[in-house]
Parts: sequence; C-alpha cells; structure tokens
Amino acid sequence: MTTRELNRSIKAAVAEGADEIVIKNPAARHNIAVGIRQSCKIMIEGSVGYYTASQLDGPEVSITGNAGWALGENLMSGKITLSKNAGASVGASMRGGEMFVGGSAGARAGISMKGGTLLIAGDSGFLTGFMMQKGRIIVCGSVGDAAGDSMYEGTIYVGADVGSLGADAKYEEPTEDELIELWAELQRSGVDGKPRFRKIVSQKKLYHYDTLERLERTLI
Amino acid sequence: MCGIAGIMYKRSRSRGLAPVGDQLVKMLETMVHRGHDSAGVTVAGESLKSDLLIRIWADESVPAEATISLAKETVMRAGGAIVSAETQDSYLRLAVNYEGDVPRLAEALLQTPGVVLHSIGETSEVIKDVGTPVVMDARHGISKISGTHGVGHVRMATESKIDISHAHPFWAYPFTDVTVVHNGQLTNYHGMKREYESQGHHFQTENDSELIAVYLADKLALGVDLNTALEASLDDLDGTFTYLVSTRDGMGYAKDRWSAKPLVLMETDSVVALASEEVALRSVFTEELDRTEPQEHEVMTWSA
Repeated sequence: MTTRELNRSIKAAVAEGADEIVIKNPAARHNIAVGIRQSCKIMIEGSVGYYTASQLDGPEVSITGNAGWALGENLMSGKITLSKNAGASVGASMRGGEMFVGGSAGARAGISMKGGTLLIAGDSGFLTGFMMQKGRIIVCGSVGDAAGDSMYEGTIYVGADVGSLGADAKYEEPTEDELIELWAELQRSGVDGKPRFRKIVSQKKLYHYDTLERLERTLI
Repeated sequence: MCGIAGIMYKRSRSRGLAPVGDQLVKMLETMVHRGHDSAGVTVAGESLKSDLLIRIWADESVPAEATISLAKETVMRAGGAIVSAETQDSYLRLAVNYEGDVPRLAEALLQTPGVVLHSIGETSEVIKDVGTPVVMDARHGISKISGTHGVGHVRMATESKIDISHAHPFWAYPFTDVTVVHNGQLTNYHGMKREYESQGHHFQTENDSELIAVYLADKLALGVDLNTALEASLDDLDGTFTYLVSTRDGMGYAKDRWSAKPLVLMETDSVVALASEEVALRSVFTEELDRTEPQEHEVMTWSA
C-alpha cells in the first residue's frame, strides 16, 4: 500500500465514523496520517518518518516508536503522543493542541510555534523554541545551545541544563503556582519527578509592534 | 538535498564478510527521493588478492579505450603488476600488486590523459554513476560485493554539474581507503580550495563536497588522527554539512553546528548503521529499531 493509499484509507475510515484506527508496521515512512480535520483516534504501531500527523485539527494520535523530522507540524487541535525520540523540528508551527514526546527531541523543537503545549520528557536539541510566537514548550531534561533564540512570545520551561540562551531570550523566575501546575501536568502525562524548572521568555528587544497588519489597522 | 548512508559490521573480518554492497544499494534506493541525479558507494573490507584496487573513469576528452590502455601502461611503468583488469563502459577496475609509493602512482595516473581517479584502496573501492542506485547496481553489480563496511550517497545536484566524476563518494587523494559522502553545502569552498591548490593539493571536480576529502587528506598527511580531523572540520568548514567518512578500518560522521542536515544512528553489538532517514535503515533491518539522532557539532568514529 502506498502512503497516499494509506492516507486515503484513514480519511475514508474517519469519514465513516471509525472510533479507532490502527496502523501497523509503518516502517518509518513519511507523511502518515496527515491533514485530518475531524476528531478520531489513530494508533500507529511502530516508528514513523517525516511530517507524521502533520496539519491535524482534532485527532488524537499515538505512536509507539520514533518519529522523523517535523512530527505534528502545524497542529491546530488534538493530541499527539510519541513513545520514543522525535527528530528535528517537532511541533513546528503548531497553533494549538498538545504534543508529548516520551524520549528526546532533535534540533529546533517547537520552531515558530504559535500555540498549544509541547511536552518533551527527555532532552531537546539546538535552537529549541526558535522564533516561537506563542504557547509552551516544557522540556524535562536539558536543552542545547541557543534556547529561545528570537522568540516573540510564549514560554520554554527546562527541567535540567540549558546549553545557552539564544538571542533576545532571558530567564524569568517561575512562580510556585506555575511549578505546581507543571508538576501536575507531568504526572498526568506519566512523567516522574518534580524538576525545578527554569523559565525562558523573550526579552522583546528584537521586535517592535509599531507596524500593524492590515486587519489590525482597521480594528483600531 | 542529498541522502547519505553508512553501514559497518563489527569484527566482521573474524566473523565473515557481510553483504555491504547489497545493503547500501537498498538503503540508497529507499532515499532516492532525496536525490536521483547520481549515486555512489564505497565498499570497504573486501577480500582482495592484490595490494591495491584502483578505480578509474575515462572522461570523454579522449576515446575510453585509449584512456584505459594508457592507464594500464602508466600503472606498469610505475612498477605495478596488474593482477586483473575489468572494464565496464568507461570504467576500469584494476587489481594491482604494487610495493611503491602510492602518492607517486596516483600522481602518474592523474597526469594520464582522460583519467579520472575515483579511488585507490587497499581494501576498498569507489563506484559511482549517474542515475539512481538501482540503475547503478544493474551496471556495476554492487549488490554482489561483500565487505566489512561502506558508505553511500544519492545526489540532488545544487552546487555543480551532474556527471560521474561529480558524484560522491570523494576519495581523499592520495590516502588509500579514505572516502567521503556529504549532504549539505560548503560556503567557504572557493577560498579553501584556492588555499589547498596553492599548497599542491589536487581537486578533480568543482563539487564543493570534494573539499572535505581534500581537507581530511591534508590533516592525515600532518599526522592528525581521523577523530581529531573530523572534530577540527566542524569549525574549519563553513556551511551546512553532515558527512560520513569511510576508512580502511572503519567509519565515522561529522555534523555541523547548525544541525541542519539529518542523520539517524542505530548501533548494536554487531552493527552500526547511519542514514539521512530512518526509512533507509528499515530497508535493511525489518524489525523496530532503537535509533538516535546525532546532534549539532558532533563527531563519532567506529572500527570494523
């Protein structure tokens, strides 16, 4: 079965109201379970390639294995759960929903993220949260160099070491209430421990909102 | 975009040679979407009955038959005894007994009209061609070659022309068995090339990836070990790169500071496999894998 045939079968099953769809032996192929805009449950048994579960709006996808680059790219709503490691750019441009990585993530996790929550149980690589604009990235382990580089808004929480801060990023002290909420979130996701998270936010010195977009101009 | 792959069987000299050629072709064919302009492999650790294995491609400047004949004469004039000579279109594979200085032999071959020297190896050979890995295999019988390890490449040309000599792997002239496959672009290529040429190094193509082979050859000539040379390359080479190097004894990788080009790694007690994409590893290992993704500014080497 080609990937195109597989994705058509998934969409047909979703349209017919299937509660649960199981995909076996994906063999690390790319672009599986993409572009689905309805609530449904998809279970992928095995490792997947690039852009898996990307451009979703509603589904709940669980993957037992590893994922290649850009898992869950442009997630609008729903939930993606990965049991092992994710490649680079996990959750790129996601706008909502939840994403959980049970292992570690590669470089540029949450790049250009615009909403939602990306929770990584292990470590995350270089340029985590690069140019993120909204949402939360929670890394229970360490992050690589240039964390939060050029971020506009949003928050990165790091449970262990930070290689270095990126341009225009700064540390902020998390409140006790914030930490309690984060620990509860970890527990709900089955992650042990109560790390003293470091919080990274934007210094907001790199960008200016003096130029409004067209719609914003008409609203004022 | 290009695709790279490498595989190495640990202690395979004592355990018996592995179907490295076949597995490299499978891995590369699975990644053919990353580049179908040309393909190439290095198969290393072959069981050979000669001192050296020389791989030559006759370019079209003179008739191929004349180049092949001249190349054989050059080898014999340099003191080499030809054990076997196989020709395939414009390709020549020479098994040679030779006790002299390899750089001298290589230099003599480079001066021979029409000769493009793809590799000189004590245990390895470079085979490269235009087209896809399956097409290349049909012409060159790569899948029949056993060895201990090897690296391969599928190319989507972005920086230089598409032809056989611009395909990967690139040999680190004149160091036997040191070859490189690269995914990425080197932005300080022209400056470094000029510098190396002024020092007497040879470039056979205008492919920026050839710089890595020359770079490693330069370091090895200075007595630097491979691991240190790979580490130094992380700062000396500018641009985006993930590259694999195959040597007589093993292989290694280097990944740039931007982590811009992909690589996945699988290692067990008996085998190490690397590829741009996991799907390539799954073309050889059908079961689920425990694999990792090497991070930025990182090198690693293994011995077969």
